[in-house]
This record gives sequence, C-alpha cells and structure tokens, in this order.
Amino acid sequence: MIPTQFDYIAPATLDEAIQLLADNAYDAKLLAGGHSLIPAMKLRLAQPAMLIDIGRIKDLAYIREEGGQILIGAMTTHYQLESSERLKEICPLLPETAGHIGDAQVRNKGTIGGSLAHSDPAADWPATVIALNGEIVATGKNGERTIKADDFFVDMLTTALEPVEILREIRVPLVQGRAGQAYTKVPHPASGFAVVGVAVNLSLGADDVCQSASVGITGAAVKAYRARGVENALNGNRIDEALAQTASAHAADGVDLNGDLYASADYRRHLVEVYTRRAILKAFAQAK
Amino acid sequence: MKLTGTQELRASRERVWQALIDPSVLQRCIPGCEKLEQTGENSYAMTLRAGVGSIKGLFKGSVRLEDMRQPEHFRMVVDGKGQPGFLKGTGELDLAENAGVTIIKYAGDVQVGGTIASVGQRMIEGAAKMMLAQFFTALEAEAQVEAGEPPPKHGFFRTALRWFSGWLRRIFKGRAKVSR
Repeated sequence: MIPTQFDYIAPATLDEAIQLLADNAYDAKLLAGGHSLIPAMKLRLAQPAMLIDIGRIKDLAYIREEGGQILIGAMTTHYQLESSERLKEICPLLPETAGHIGDAQVRNKGTIGGSLAHSDPAADWPATVIALNGEIVATGKNGERTIKADDFFVDMLTTALEPVEILREIRVPLVQGRAGQAYTKVPHPASGFAVVGVAVNLSLGADDVCQSASVGITGAAVKAYRARGVENALNGNRIDEALAQTASAHAADGVDLNGDLYASADYRRHLVEVYTRRAILKAFAQAK
Repeated sequence: MKLTGTQELRASRERVWQALIDPSVLQRCIPGCEKLEQTGENSYAMTLRAGVGSIKGLFKGSVRLEDMRQPEHFRMVVDGKGQPGFLKGTGELDLAENAGVTIIKYAGDVQVGGTIASVGQRMIEGAAKMMLAQFFTALEAEAQVEAGEPPPKHGFFRTALRWFSGWLRRIFKGRAKVSR
C-alpha cells in the first residue's frame, strides 16, 4: 500500500510542466486528480520515477462558451461539471455523466482531463465525449493540436497523446435546435465503473425525425467506441420505440466485447443493446 | 481465463513455424519481452515487462514447448511470477496452410493471480487480447520479411511504432540512470 520511491514536482505554469515533461517523458507521469494513478502506484502496478503534479497550475479548471463551443479545462473536476447550472441547460449530458462517476470523494478530486488521458476502458467520460463529437486539445513543446474524440482512444489505457503532450482542454460543439441527450449505465457494484455505459446525443427535426445521432459506448470493449450502426439506423428516421429497438441491435456491431468474472462477453452484448435502447428513448423524451 | 481464436498470417506455414520456435524472433514479437534465453531443448527463461499504458509489471518465468509436430502443432507452457502477481498457462497452437496463408488456431487457458488479478481482473482479458494481436502482427511481419516478400502493410507500422517507442524508452531510461 506504499508506492515505490518517486520524485515529485509541482510546476506553477503550463510551460514549466511542458518543459519538465519534455525532459523526463519516459520516466514521468502527469498527476491530475490522482484517482486512478495513485491507487495503481500504491499497489505498485504503476511505478513512475517522477510525478509532475499539474494541480497547482492556474487556469486549467474552467467551463466556458466560445465560438459555438463549450471549452472545458483539463483539471475541471467531475463535481464542477456535475454541478454546473449552465451546462444543465446547454449540454445536460455532461453533468449527467459526471453524476454517474464513482462517489462524491472521487468526483470532488477526479478530473475530466485525467480520466480521458488515462482512458480506462470502463470510464464514463470517453463515451460522452464521443457522443458529443468532442475534441481533445493536446499541448506540447511543438505547440498545440486538436484530436477528434473518435481518434483519441487508441486501445486499452492507450490514447493518441504523445508521451510529451499534456491534455489541456476538451471542446464540445454547442447543440443547435431541438436536441436530446442521455447517459445510461450499468455500474459495477463494487467499483462503480461502467460494466457498460451508453451516451446518446440526438438532434431532432420536425415530426421527431432524427437529423443526427451520436452514440458513444464505454465499458463494453477495450476502449470506448462510436456505435456507427446505431447512428446509421437512427439518422433520417422518425424516432419511436420500434426504431430504438431495431437501432440498438447494432450497438455491438463489429466490436470484440470484453468478458470478465462479473460479466461475460455475451452478457455485455445483451446489456449494451438494452442500455442503448433505453438511452435513445431517454434522450428522445428529453428533447424539447 | 480461456483465450481461443484463429489468426491468419500471410506467410507460409514453414516460415511461421520457424519464427515461432526461434527465440530471437519471439523476443522481438512478444510485447514487452526483455529477455528470452534458451535453457534446454525447447525450454526458455523469459523476462517480460507486461502491461498496458502506465500499468506495467515485471514478470520472470519459463516457457516450454511440448508435443512438437513440425510444422503443424505444439503446446506452449508458460509459468511466471513477478511483483504484481503470477501467471500460468498452457496454449495449444495448430498451424494450417491455405494458398500461402497460414492459419493459426490457438486455444489457451491462462490463470492470473495476485494483485493484478484482484484489482485488475476486468482488464486482464482485454489486455491479453491486445498483446496477442500485437504479437501476431509482429510475427506476420517477421515471417514475411525473411521470405523477402514486399514489406508488410498498415497494422505492422503501429506495432513497429509501439515497439520502437518501447525501445527508445529503454534506451532513454538507461541513459537517465547513467547520468544520475
């Protein structure tokens, strides 16, 4: 329960952190909220030689609207997202997802940036960021680049971030017109992690016709993925219970599902379909 | 945990077989394999830095090949332990060839115990599949390169990049230690 020895540095600015990371990329780990990394270090499953604590850097925790986008600082805690009254109005999927994460202690310390960069296959945020067609802003010595959420999650615990890059911001386009969003989840009874989690983001036209659907699924496979089969089945069609049923049958198309002691791959397939259907109907019910 | 599946490799069965029983090839193909030394006929000692992302552990153990029927079948018996836990397993590999493509059928039973199993159980199967995919991608490339055929495509580059970055990491780590 005691980590191996490591160096600890808490830079005051982002530039300092980038320099530190560039100098120590292969030995250092960034510390955000520490709610995945620290437990892994205590169990000695992760043994970084150096921690760069980015928690003292000012202006990495914010929720802003700019140029048709919602900008979220990497160090914004789950609780800040959960409790934002403004987000409940303009992008309810974010606070809804945040409310599903762990427990109050985890939400008070854990951050959206840390969760995304860790890319736990059962974390909640990846599904939602995919469903919101979000982008990740990565910054490093050679400047900044944005990575689409679809391209960000590469494999289990593996993202498109370079070892010398810091996840600085998450960008989510503001929804226009009539929209409905929902996150449904089967939490693991012990850990609270998603056995499966489904995020749905619908944009609706007149007569309840779906103009665009985005569906992100977590917990089911080695990484969160976009359920294109479901989106294609929804797009251009009038949403009702029957359509939700047929569309959700595509929730695991072409995906190699995970199995573990708690939930076999077949059981997960069933859960994914059921929870996708529920998420579609819940999102639809919420569209005003 | 059961691991079963089939994998098609675009290389002849004879070459795939040669690659599978060549310790130097295996060392390059097994993700995280730092050392693979022959200790006897068909038995090897292995040092493996296994894991995904920042979760990694050092395992030391032995690999034994049994029931060898060139070029179509062998059994692999793995036994290892390390700080994060232990792993133990057997795998049956069957190789068939169809029009220059080798089809490997594998059926393994792996037990993982200790810390990694008690806290990381939900990720073990995914991690194993991920490492298996990396292994076969690298193996295909090895079997093809030796045949002097055109260079392998797409998937290989990712594996190569991963391997390359791991190699860089080791070198840089070594240097960092020397300079301290």
